[in-house]
Amino acid sequence: MNCLDFRRRISAEPRSRDPALLAHRDSCTEGCAAFWQRAQRFEDDVEAAMAVPVPDGLADRILLAHATGERRAQVGRRRAWLAMAASVLIAFGGVGMLWRYSDQHSLPALAVAHMPWEMDSLALTRPMTDDQVEAGFVGRATHLKGPAPGMVTYVHDCTVGPYPAVHAVTRMDDEPVVALYMPGKMDGKPGTFHRDGWDGRELQLHGGTLVLLAQGASRKAMETAERGWRAAIEGPAPASIGQI
Amino acid sequence: MPTPPVKGDVNPKQRQYEAMVRALSADLYRFAWWLSRSETVAQDLVQETFLRAWKNLDALRDAESAKAWLFTILRREHARLYERKRLEVVELDDTLPEDAAYASPERSGDAAQVREAIGRLPDKYRAPLAMQVLGGMSADEIAESTGQKAGAVMTQLFRARQQLKKLLGGRAAAEGGRT
Repeated sequence: MNCLDFRRRISAEPRSRDPALLAHRDSCTEGCAAFWQRAQRFEDDVEAAMAVPVPDGLADRILLAHATGERRAQVGRRRAWLAMAASVLIAFGGVGMLWRYSDQHSLPALAVAHMPWEMDSLALTRPMTDDQVEAGFVGRATHLKGPAPGMVTYVHDCTVGPYPAVHAVTRMDDEPVVALYMPGKMDGKPGTFHRDGWDGRELQLHGGTLVLLAQGASRKAMETAERGWRAAIEGPAPASIGQI
Repeated sequence: MPTPPVKGDVNPKQRQYEAMVRALSADLYRFAWWLSRSETVAQDLVQETFLRAWKNLDALRDAESAKAWLFTILRREHARLYERKRLEVVELDDTLPEDAAYASPERSGDAAQVREAIGRLPDKYRAPLAMQVLGGMSADEIAESTGQKAGAVMTQLFRARQQLKKLLGGRAAAEGGRT
């Protein structure tokens, strides 16, 4: 390393501890040691000048701002979680209310809700004539296409929820079975149900929906009533090949 | 007897961050001050730098490189801040200084005069000088931080000091000279 390289390096990096620089400083007889000394003093001045005063409490203020920001973010995250939880609860609540509304307005629910006003009809035992039964259906602008079931003890036109209906009761082995026929209601959901102590069946017939209800009636009584009313409302089933 | 601060629930990241703020905020502030020449802007820059540092603290693997890392972040923050309102700086003569000024750095005067002279340096010289003097960064580290070649940084550091000496020498002469 020559003196020019040394001085250029020291002018750029006065605090360098590069062994090559230090070796040149210690061995040079051309005044590089003095140059190095002056450079160090100059650097002391530069360092002192650059050490501008730092505002009091700077670090604490930075930490406080940081802690505050973190806390705010934490509160924000907590609020977001709470909002999400509330949304989920509201959604569940909404779905629950919809389900409840839908359930309370289902045909089985409306049919069962209709029964408390008609409990006396279950106690009747005197059979009605076919004409009387037919007359009950005519009241709802419909006609029986087949013979009325045996042992019909009650026929009356009623309203089940919003639906006009023919309310009839058949009796078999002292087991009353209620039939609620809603002419024109074509969106029934066929199936069986048990609700508030009532066993029920919902049937989709050609001209409307039939709901059968009974309290503790036998399966045989329910099926007999179903067959009887189906044949009466839709007409006798066409003869099968075996019957021909 | 004073109650010691509760540190049980302070996680390692927070402890590292707090230690970093306490150890380096002063030098970082000085660097910011020399870049912006404004106490308010410098404080904002330091605040913003530590905010970014907190978000990227996982990227810091080595405690030794924390200072250079923070200086780099701060320099970028400053560049972002002044992207659209870069101040006009009067370029000084890049020629080598007179031997007299070069040979008599002790004439540099008190800190206020040196400070004023440093303030008159162009940004391109003052920034690497501050990174070296305040950040203890080598030319290679400054080069990496600023995206330049190490040789170019060496030249900037050399010229920064030469111009500083020239400025201080000229002032000393105008004031009747000092020894």
